[in-house]
Amino acid sequence: MRDRQIKEHTIIALLQNEAGTLNRLVSLFRRRGFSLASLNAGDCEQPGYSRCTMVVTADDRELRQILQQLEKLIDVVEVEDIPPIRSIRRELALIRVDVASGQRSEVLEIVGVLGGKVVHLTQKSITVEFTDEPYKIDQLIHMLEPYGIGEIVRTGLVAMKADTPSASN
Amino acid sequence: MTRSGSRIVMEALVRHGVDTIFGYPGGVVLPLYDEMLNWPTVRHVLVRHEQCAAHMADGYARATGKVGVCLATSGPGATNLVTGIATAMMDSIPMVALTGQVATPAIGKDAFQETDIQGITIPITKHNYLVTDVADLPWVLEEAFFLASTGRKGPVLVDIPKDVFIAETDADATPATPRRGYRLPGPPSEDQVREAARLIAEAHRPVIIAGAGVLHSESWDLLAEFARKADIPVANSLLGLGSFPREHELSLGMLGMHGEAASTMAVQHADLVLGIGIRFDDRLTGKTSGFAPRAKIVHFDIDPSEVGKTVSPVCFVIGDLKQSLAALLPLVEPKSHTEWRSQIREWQRRYPLVVPEDGRLLARHVLRALNEHTEGRAIVSTDVGQHQMWAAQFYKFREPRQWLSSGGLGTMGYGVPAAVGAKFARPDREVWAVVGDGGFQMTLQELQTIRDHNVDVKICLINNGYLGMVRQWQELFYDNRYSHVAMGNPNYAKLAEAYGIPFVQCTRRDDVDGAFERARSIRGPALAEFVVEMEENVFPMVGPGASNDAVIMDPALQAEVPVEARR
Repeated sequence: MRDRQIKEHTIIALLQNEAGTLNRLVSLFRRRGFSLASLNAGDCEQPGYSRCTMVVTADDRELRQILQQLEKLIDVVEVEDIPPIRSIRRELALIRVDVASGQRSEVLEIVGVLGGKVVHLTQKSITVEFTDEPYKIDQLIHMLEPYGIGEIVRTGLVAMKADTPSASN
Repeated sequence: MTRSGSRIVMEALVRHGVDTIFGYPGGVVLPLYDEMLNWPTVRHVLVRHEQCAAHMADGYARATGKVGVCLATSGPGATNLVTGIATAMMDSIPMVALTGQVATPAIGKDAFQETDIQGITIPITKHNYLVTDVADLPWVLEEAFFLASTGRKGPVLVDIPKDVFIAETDADATPATPRRGYRLPGPPSEDQVREAARLIAEAHRPVIIAGAGVLHSESWDLLAEFARKADIPVANSLLGLGSFPREHELSLGMLGMHGEAASTMAVQHADLVLGIGIRFDDRLTGKTSGFAPRAKIVHFDIDPSEVGKTVSPVCFVIGDLKQSLAALLPLVEPKSHTEWRSQIREWQRRYPLVVPEDGRLLARHVLRALNEHTEGRAIVSTDVGQHQMWAAQFYKFREPRQWLSSGGLGTMGYGVPAAVGAKFARPDREVWAVVGDGGFQMTLQELQTIRDHNVDVKICLINNGYLGMVRQWQELFYDNRYSHVAMGNPNYAKLAEAYGIPFVQCTRRDDVDGAFERARSIRGPALAEFVVEMEENVFPMVGPGASNDAVIMDPALQAEVPVEARR
């Protein structure tokens, strides 16, 4: 009955900003052996609070533990596991492709097709900014690999539940 | 009116009814120690090691239910508290730990006696603070006491830099932003309570396992009423001892690795296990897949994160146990489980705790005699190991808050300071610290604290010349290969004399009663050393990682019978 399958989950938490808040959050994952694939936190619409997106891999039992243990932290106001559907999920990546001059146009074409943006150019490299779902970023990286990737920086996921249609709808 | 940070601390202590704090001064807490002289109603007990300040605050809290307070300076003072704070965290003990910190401009500069105690104690506190602005101090202290003593209780640490003690403010205790991330549990779910009542009505072989949650929530009367009404036997977790009187006919005594055999068998054969204020830890359940294999599990607890953490209950009631049990009681029909209880009585008759009489002086004689001489009415603290298990087995606790023992963290050296804290809190009660020769040597410097204040605690030192429990494991699971478990011991008579503490020694079986009489006749503290058989083992025992079905009985019973074989 219990789903023992390990899946990726996206957890959104509202945090009350205090000295040590993020430390406390990360410490919880470390000490209880929960796996934390990415963590993002920043200011939100409420002054004095931040909203944070965590990507974790866990089975159902462990996920419940993660949520409840997070909930117990005094500076965590709300915690929610948001479903992949009906949520908006974005990650930003900066990718530098150290591309030989002869292949430049191929790289630009791939980047253009997938919707990336060239943010820096030198004679020996193209740096691309790309924002999308993480799997799309993986895809772009995969496509660019043959040309020689110099450096990748990814932000990790940020996510938000999609607003529901109004009641009259 | 503006007040200094130091004054704000003292005012907070007084406001929260703190009559005693346990501490040790040092450089950065000098302003607070100076202010303290103006506040005669708050007694300061000077310890000899900060770890013991935390254990004393812990003992004070366990013996009363009130928040215990300890105080240390920055750096090593603060890090010395760590073991005591972790002990309190594991057992959900309400505590406020105050530490000094280097002055705010010096923080992060590796200043003298600087340590990041907030960072260090994140995993071992319910919450902690570094107060860098004196204006925050009033609300932080207010919240620290609130957090420590509500919901699932626990230690809260407040780190205060030296300049914050000195700075002045007129701020009151209103926090800058209201606290939204801390919610006390609401009333229990009616559906879940009804479901629990239905399962109770259906059960033929129910068992209650009552834990420390019953003590923290002060719901022992409701527990007793419920157990009587539904006629359900009550086993206790180690820390739940005292939540149900041991002499009650429904009491099964302790459950777990060294629980009484009949208690373990009852749970293994039960069709319904009601875990009330317990966290189903590994020393209680044994291998979880083999725990209570025939039972549906119902879990009552204040902390939702405990549900399903180690075992999978079919029904759980989240909330303050007082509310949950009060909601359950009217839904429970009076019942009697005559057959089930006579089965349990049969197990109790066949597998009692054994105390051989072969002329040797055994630790079990001592613990049994302690119970008899004090009529089960003393406050008893322990260290960790064999003596702790024998105390748990043989002491027939009558009331809540008589039992002080480090269950979760298993802290050796806890017994003596915890007893001191308890005696300060409840001077009217007889207090005994039961310790082994291993643990006693970890914190015996507190004999001087005992002497300073003439604290009337009696120390029952079980001296077997070994780290007994570790030796037992090496005997049973490491083929008798004793590795670093033999304990050299000082001459305790001379030690006691050096500290000016009366000493009683017992080396013979026939002198046990005499030794207790001598020790108890002394007004004020006494050290009673019992030089016992060196290689005595604690039974029954469930081996580490084994299922509770595989109880190793005392060989003296001449039967090592797994429960399964006699189904």
